[in-house]
Amino acid sequence: MSDSLSAELAELKAAAAHNDARFQRIDKLSWPNGARIAVNVTVDFDAMLLRRLNNEPAMELAKGEFGGRVGVWRLLELFAAHRIKATIFTPGRICELYPEALQAAVRGGHELADHMWEHRVPKEPELARDHLGKTAAALQAISGHRPVGSRSHYPASLLREEGFIYNSHGARSDRPYYVLDERGRPLVLELPFHFAIDDAMFFSFAWYRSGNAGQRLADTDRVFDLWLAAFQQQHRQGGYLNICLHPFVSGRALRVAMLDRLIGAMKAYPGVWFASCEEVARHCLATHPASPTPESATSP
Amino acid sequence: MPWKQGYTISDEKSLADAEVRWPEGKRCAIHIVADLSVASGPAGIGSRDLASPAAQFAINDGLDLLLGAFARHRLRATFAVPAVMAECYRDRVKDIVEGGHEVAAHGFKHEDVSALSRDEERARIARTTQVLGAITGRRPAGWFALPRQNDAFAGGAISANTMGLLLEAGYDYMGNGLADDLPHYWVTDFASRRAILTLPYYYHFDDQFFCMFPTAGTGLENPDALLRNWRAEFDAQYRRGRFFGMTVHPQHIGWCHRLAGLEAFLGELAGCELWNCTGAECARYWMGAYPAAHSLKLAPSIWQDYPGSLS
Repeated sequence: MSDSLSAELAELKAAAAHNDARFQRIDKLSWPNGARIAVNVTVDFDAMLLRRLNNEPAMELAKGEFGGRVGVWRLLELFAAHRIKATIFTPGRICELYPEALQAAVRGGHELADHMWEHRVPKEPELARDHLGKTAAALQAISGHRPVGSRSHYPASLLREEGFIYNSHGARSDRPYYVLDERGRPLVLELPFHFAIDDAMFFSFAWYRSGNAGQRLADTDRVFDLWLAAFQQQHRQGGYLNICLHPFVSGRALRVAMLDRLIGAMKAYPGVWFASCEEVARHCLATHPASPTPESATSP
Repeated sequence: MPWKQGYTISDEKSLADAEVRWPEGKRCAIHIVADLSVASGPAGIGSRDLASPAAQFAINDGLDLLLGAFARHRLRATFAVPAVMAECYRDRVKDIVEGGHEVAAHGFKHEDVSALSRDEERARIARTTQVLGAITGRRPAGWFALPRQNDAFAGGAISANTMGLLLEAGYDYMGNGLADDLPHYWVTDFASRRAILTLPYYYHFDDQFFCMFPTAGTGLENPDALLRNWRAEFDAQYRRGRFFGMTVHPQHIGWCHRLAGLEAFLGELAGCELWNCTGAECARYWMGAYPAAHSLKLAPSIWQDYPGSLS
């Protein structure tokens, strides 16, 4: 019996050590011009693609279509009014569905980044690479340069090989951190994203195929309070906040009005740096590079 | 691959706020939909639904209270009425018409039609149209497919044929679409630009998802959140000069504190420059002011099929 407990302990210790060795936090994180907090406003421009992928019925696709026809335009107007730069995580297929909106985003100075080709990562490695490359080419055709960021489940090694410097999908830290390979070498920077700061969790019915008993349709006052508290906490301790918006959700008039209030409230604090994800990532890479680990120092 | 079929139903960009005009120079349109269905799930109204206390309340006290509230605030609504409800409660439908409201079709029994054959669905549309026409003395101009509380999704269910069949049956509009917060055209055929006008619906402004929802589970009673949603959306859309749509059910909104919330909200509309339209009025105005032939701007498709991708 005691042998089996020891074996279990050894297995879990090995798993914990393995996990620890695959990411690295950034010590003494600082922002340009002495800012206390970096805020990334991010837009997941899925529109109806995920609904289509999940084979949802026609009205659900139409719900997503709102994001392309209406929502994305309103978010771009909102960002322009507040003079903030956002990152639009864009599935490659959206370039064929809503090229005009993406061109407007680029004119507005926003960053276009990868959000998978059709909102999925194929299991087959070569097809995954093909999807990532197709999306990068489609975004480049609109923005004029190859995207450097992603919000996806692609393996970090693939992202690095394809020239991406960051992913914004993990939540192992509430501040940017590095994802390392098995030898302790940095693969990509993670700009952490959390479901608690994701509009779809509060406002979208049947999100992630949740059943009716799981629905909590929040009103905008509640989400305003939660998200402002999140911002205040990160501002107090000095750090980072990533706000995830979907045009088909947050582009609704009542939510644009809420976001207008929220951004206004955040701007009233001193030392807030609203930047694109690329700007935050480049700052981290340049001024807070990953430190060599014992493993990486000894590897060839 | 023609156009963007299977992905989008309309053109790529909605009208900007500045392009929207309402009759008599009014600032914003308000469309109130009252759903007279008592269906609990996709099967549509059955005898068990009719026997439920909620249904008894809906068709008696609930409807009286709702009609009273609309009359007090001098507002007109579109009642979405399943054919079976009209047949079972003819006098109540006449009360609705006498109140100055529009009666629109809400399916034969508010059933999910998505698995029906084209012929079967066509026959049901024809029968529904005939029943409602006979009882109200006027052919319904609009058709609704609103969601039910036990549906898997909150958008309402249609089949691939529904929109085309509604055009064929002479309907002016479809009452609940989610792709815009203005009236918009749902294109059924790209080549011919055949399209049906669709009025906006959104489940965050529909009482059934806030009043004891889920019916068995957690979350339950949140009419305060519903009221905040109505107020926030109305304020935002009024500022933009667009359209505000809300959906109520007598069995839900008629009950005690919920009715008080509705009364409070309707009271706040007094003094606003609103065009309170019924569905048919809105559709006819829109088709005149923004006809599909001029306002629908379908971009040519640049869609390509690739191996390893969804078509």
